[in-house]
Amino acid sequence: MSALVAVRDLKVSFVTRQSAVEAVRGVSFEIPEDSTLALVGESGSGKTVSAMSILRLLPENAVIDRASRVEYGGENLLGVPAPRLRELRGREISAVFQEPMTSLNPVLTVGEQVAEVLRLHRGMSARQALERSAELLNEVGIPEPRARLRAYPHELSGGQQQRVMIAMAIANEPKLLIADEPTTALDVTVQRQVLELIARLRERHRMSVLFISHDLGLVGELADAVVVMRDGVVRESGPVERIFRAPQDPYTRALLACRPRLDARPRRLPVIEDFMRGQPIPSEPLERPDAAEPLVEARHLRKEFRLRTGLWASRSLLAVGDVSFAVSRGRTVGVVGESGSGKTTVALLLMRLLQASGGEARFDGTDLLKLKPSAMMGFRRRIQIVFQNPYASLNPRRSIGRTLVEPMRIHGLGAGEDERYRRARQLLQRVGLPEDAMQRYPHEFSGGQRQRIAIARALAVEPEVLICDEPVSALDVSVQATVLNLLLELQESLGLAYVFISHDLAVVKYMADEVLVMRSGEVVERGTPEAIFRSPQHEYTRKLVEAIPRGLEGRLH
Amino acid sequence: MAAVLDVTPESAWTALLRRLQQDRVGAVSLGIVAAYLVMIFFAMAGWLAGGWSEEVGVPYANPAFLGERPNLEAALQKRSEHKGRVPDLRDIDPLAPKYEEWAKRTGELKSTQRERSLTLPWGGDRWGRDVLDKAIKGSQVSIAVGVVAALCATLIGTLLGATAGFYGGWINDFLEWLYNVFTSIPGILLVFTLAAVLRSGPLAAVFASGIWTVVIILSVTGWTGMYRLVRAEYMKHRSREYVLAAQAMGASGLSRMFVHILPNVSHVVLVQLSLLVVAFIKVEVILSFLGLGVPVDMVSWGTMLSEAQTELVIGKWWQLAAATLFMAIFLTAFSMLTDSLRDALDPRLR
Amino acid sequence: MVPTLAGVVLLIFILFKLFGGDPAQILAGQVASQEQIDAIRHELGLDQPWYVQLGIFVREILTFDWGKSWITREQVSTIFLTRLPATLTITIPILLLEAAMAIPTAMLVAYYRGTLLDRSVMALCVAAMSISFLVYIIVGQYLFGFELGWFPVQGWSDSFWKNLVTYAPLPILLAALVGLAPQTRLYRSFFLDETKSDYVRTARAKGLSEPSILRKHVLRNALVPVVTNISLLIPGVFVGSFLLEIFFSIPGLGREIYLAVNRSDYPVIQAVTIYLSVLTMLINLAADVLYSFVDPRIQLR
Repeated sequence: MSALVAVRDLKVSFVTRQSAVEAVRGVSFEIPEDSTLALVGESGSGKTVSAMSILRLLPENAVIDRASRVEYGGENLLGVPAPRLRELRGREISAVFQEPMTSLNPVLTVGEQVAEVLRLHRGMSARQALERSAELLNEVGIPEPRARLRAYPHELSGGQQQRVMIAMAIANEPKLLIADEPTTALDVTVQRQVLELIARLRERHRMSVLFISHDLGLVGELADAVVVMRDGVVRESGPVERIFRAPQDPYTRALLACRPRLDARPRRLPVIEDFMRGQPIPSEPLERPDAAEPLVEARHLRKEFRLRTGLWASRSLLAVGDVSFAVSRGRTVGVVGESGSGKTTVALLLMRLLQASGGEARFDGTDLLKLKPSAMMGFRRRIQIVFQNPYASLNPRRSIGRTLVEPMRIHGLGAGEDERYRRARQLLQRVGLPEDAMQRYPHEFSGGQRQRIAIARALAVEPEVLICDEPVSALDVSVQATVLNLLLELQESLGLAYVFISHDLAVVKYMADEVLVMRSGEVVERGTPEAIFRSPQHEYTRKLVEAIPRGLEGRLH
Repeated sequence: MAAVLDVTPESAWTALLRRLQQDRVGAVSLGIVAAYLVMIFFAMAGWLAGGWSEEVGVPYANPAFLGERPNLEAALQKRSEHKGRVPDLRDIDPLAPKYEEWAKRTGELKSTQRERSLTLPWGGDRWGRDVLDKAIKGSQVSIAVGVVAALCATLIGTLLGATAGFYGGWINDFLEWLYNVFTSIPGILLVFTLAAVLRSGPLAAVFASGIWTVVIILSVTGWTGMYRLVRAEYMKHRSREYVLAAQAMGASGLSRMFVHILPNVSHVVLVQLSLLVVAFIKVEVILSFLGLGVPVDMVSWGTMLSEAQTELVIGKWWQLAAATLFMAIFLTAFSMLTDSLRDALDPRLR
Repeated sequence: MVPTLAGVVLLIFILFKLFGGDPAQILAGQVASQEQIDAIRHELGLDQPWYVQLGIFVREILTFDWGKSWITREQVSTIFLTRLPATLTITIPILLLEAAMAIPTAMLVAYYRGTLLDRSVMALCVAAMSISFLVYIIVGQYLFGFELGWFPVQGWSDSFWKNLVTYAPLPILLAALVGLAPQTRLYRSFFLDETKSDYVRTARAKGLSEPSILRKHVLRNALVPVVTNISLLIPGVFVGSFLLEIFFSIPGLGREIYLAVNRSDYPVIQAVTIYLSVLTMLINLAADVLYSFVDPRIQLR
C-alpha cells in the first residue's frame, strides 16, 4: 500500500503577543490509501493541530516551520500557492469537525451549504447541485432528504447536523476525509451510529480517513493503524492490533489501562505515573460495604419547569418525572443518562438549588424539601456537591485559600481564622495538592487540579453525603483515573455516601453499588451494575451498553 | 503537577497592570490621561488657570505667534463703546433671556481694570480672556462632569442590572419594563424634558449653579446601557457552577450577588464605565452649547465651542482650535486606554 | 408595546407633575393676580385630583388634541405635523447613508485585518470620534458654506425636492461623516467576531476563497448584530438631526422643542416627546420583523 499523504517532521508554533508556544514538535506519519489512520492523544497533544496542518486550516497565529512537509501526489501542501490549495480543499481532501452545531452556517439552509461545495468544484448548476445534495443527504441517512434541503441547521438534531457535515465532506468523492473528534459532542448512542456511517462510507468510496480522537476504545473499533501523540510528539505508531495487543510505549500502555474496565473492579485504577515510573499495576479488588440504613432517601422526586410562551400563556416541561433511590453510608448510587435525561436536575433538587415540584428528599429522616431556609442551613453542611466543569466551578477572582475558608466561616467551623486556614492547608494536602496553592488563583491550575480543589471545598464543611455531578467528564482520560481514585479513597476513609451522576456507563459501573438509568426524566431501569451490564432489561439500557467503545472487541466491519 | 506552580501568584488586578504595561499604546495613553489628571488637580487647587475669567487681553487678542495680525475687532470695539445700540433681537434670539443675567454676572466679575495686553499665548476671546487658561479650566469642568455622571450612571445601571439579572422573575419583568420605557424615549428628548422641568420647576433654584443639573440629566438618561450589560452578565453567572457551589455552601443571595459575582463582572463594568465617560463628555459639550449644560459662570469645552461659531466667521479660530485639541487629545488617549483595558481584560487572550 | 407606551406616558406625566413648574404660573406670567392664576388653573384642570389630570393627559394624547402652544398660540398638533417632515427629510437619509458607507468600509478593513491599512483606519476612527460633533458642524458649515460656497449656509423651502437637493445635503453629509467612524469600528468588530467562528473554517475546508467566504457566509451572519445596532441607533440619530436643525435653521421638531425648552412651553415638549417615542417603538417593531428575515433562528410569534 502506498502512502496517500505523508507528513514529515511537522513543527507548528502558536505566536501570541508575549510568547511563542511550540504545539507540534516534529511529527511524522503516513496515511495509506484506502484505510483509516487514527491520531490519538489527550488535550494538548497536538493531534488536531497536526491534522489541520494538512489543509492549512490553522488559527491565524499559527506558524508552520519551513522545513516541515506534507506530501500529497508529489506536491508539498505546505508550500503550494493558495489557489491550488483551494482546488484541493473540499474536492480531494475534506474535513468534518467536532462541533456540528457551530460548524454549519446558521443562516444558510442545509441544501445551500451542501450544494455550494458541488457548484464550486464540479461547476454544477444550482438545480443539479440541489438534486445531488438530496441524494447525498439520503446516502448519509437523513430521512426525507428533499424536505430537509430547506431546513436550517438549528432545526436538526446534533447527530443529523454531523451527518450533513459528512455529506458535504464526501460530496466530491475526496481521497482523504479528516475527521476531527466527529462524535465527541454527540450522545453515546448517536456516537455509535455516526461512527458506523463513517466506516461504511469509507469502504464504499474507497477513500482514506484520518480519524482524530481522545478515546482509544473508539479508535480500536475503527482504525487500521494508530498514531499515539503526547505533548506534540509521536509516542508510538503501528497497526491497530499491535498497538492494542503489544503496546511498546509506557504512555500507550497507560492510556489503554486507565479507563475503567467492564470486567474488573480493582481497588485503585492504574494511572500514568504507574507506567511511566514502572511501578506495579494495582490489581487488588475493591471491597464495598453492604447496604444499611439509608442516609439519604429520595422518594418520587418530580420537577416541572414552566416556560413562558407569551405574556400570559405558559406551558410546562417535565424535567424529572418520578425518581426514587436510597443510599447508605460508604456506598454509592450511580445515575446514568444522556443529555436531557434530567440527571443533573435530580442533583440540583437534592441540594435544593432548584425547588422540587413534588416528592421527598429524606436526610436522616428529615424531609429537606419542606425545610425552612434557616433550618436548611444546618443540612447544607452535611450534604455537598462537586460539579462537572472545573473551569466554571471555582470563582476565578478568588484565591484558593479564600475559596476553601469561606464555607467554614459560613458554618462557623474552626475556632478562628488561623484554625480555618490551617484546616484549609490540610484539605489541600488531603486531595494531593501542595500547600502553597493557598495563595494562588484558579487559572494557574489544570483541570484535574481544579477538580481536586472543588472536592476539597466540598469537604471543608465535613459533609456526610457528596453529590458528584459528572465530576470527571470534562477531564482527560488519564486525569479521570486519578480523580476517581481520590474519590474512592475519600469514601473509604471518611465513610461518605455518594450520588454519582455521569453519562459514562463504564465510569458509573466502576464507582456505583446501585445504578439508575434515566431517560427523559424517568428511571427506565435500576439494579446492581453487574446485572445491568450482564442482562439489560430495557431496550434503551441495552443500546447504552452496546454503545460503550470496546476497542478491538467492538470492531466495525 | 508542580510545573504550573513555579510562577508567582498574582491576582486579576496585578495581572491587568502588568498586561497594560506591556502594551505600548496603552502605556502612552495612560501617560496622557495621567497628565490631564495632574493638570486638573492643579487647576482645582488654583495653581493653574485660576484667573481664567479675568480679562487680561484686548478683545480677541491675537495668539503670541500671530502677534502682527491686525485686530480690527479690538479697535472697533474701543471706538463703539458708549455709542450705538445693538438692535433688539430678543424675540427671535433663543438666548435672549440669558443676556441680562450674563451682563449682570460679567459686571460682577469685572472688578478691577488693568493694563490689557495685545497678545496672549494662545489668543483671547471676545472679552479678552486667555483662551489657554479657559481650555485648562474647561478641561477640569468637562472631565469632572463626564466622570461624575458616568459614576452615577454606573451605580444606577449596575444595581438595577444586578438585581434584574440575579433575581429574575417579576423583579426582572418590572425592571425590563422600566428599561424599555427609558429607551423608547429618544435620549435627546428625555434630556430636553429633564432640562425643562429642572430649570423651570420648584427645584430650579437648587440646580441654578454648579454641574449637578448636567450630571443628573446625563446619569438619568445614560444608565440603560450599563443596566443591559450587567443584567446579561448576571444572568450568565447566576447559574455558573461557582455560584451554585456558593449557594450549596449556604451563602446568602446578597453575598452571592456582590461578593461572588460582582468581582467577576467588574471588568465589563469598568470598560463600560470608561466608554460612558467618553460619551458623556461629548454630550456635555453639546448640552453646554445648547445652554442646557454647565452654568454661564463656568467654562467647559462646550461653552468654548458655543462661542467659536461666531468667532470663526470673523477669522478668530484659536478658541475653536484650543477646545478641539484639548478635547480630542484627551478623548483619543482615553479611548485607546479603554481599548487596551478591554484587551488586557479579555479572558480569551489570557 | 402597550405597557411600554403606558410607562412613557406615566414617566412624562410624573416628571412634569413632580418636578416641573406650575403651568398656571408660567402661563400667567410674573405679574398675574391670584384670580387670574386660579382661572387658568381651573381651565387646565389643575384643581382636579391627580388621576383626573392623568386622564386629561391621556385623552390629549389619544385624541391628538393638546390645545395651543403657550407661547406662539399655534395648535400643538399643527406644530408637530408641520415640523415632522423636515426632521424626517434629514434623519432617514442620514441613517441610510451611514449604513451604506460603514458596512462596506468595515468589511474591507475586516478583510485586511491586522495590516497597516486596518490599523491606520482604526486609529483614524478613534481620532475622528474624539472630535465633537459641534466642531464638524461649525467647521463644515464655515468651510463648505461660507468659504467655498458649495452649499447654502442655511435655509429651507416648502418643496421637498428642493430641500433634499439644496438645503439637506450639507447637514446630511456632515452627520453621516460623524457617524461613519464609530459605526465602522463597531461593524468591523462584528465581522471579526464572525470570521473566528467554526463555520468559516468549514467554508475554508470546502475550498472557498476568502472574499467569497466574507460575501457568502460572514456578511449574512454579521448583519444580525448590524440590524440590532441600527435599530438601537435610531433614537440617537435625533440628537444629530436636532443639532443640525438648530445650526442650519431647519424648521424641524428639534428646533421646535429646543425653542420650547427655552420658553418652558410644556405642551409642545410633552407632545413631541410622546409622539417621537411612539415613532421609535414602531421602528423597533419593524426592526424585529426585519430580524426574522436576517436570522432564521428567530421565529416571530
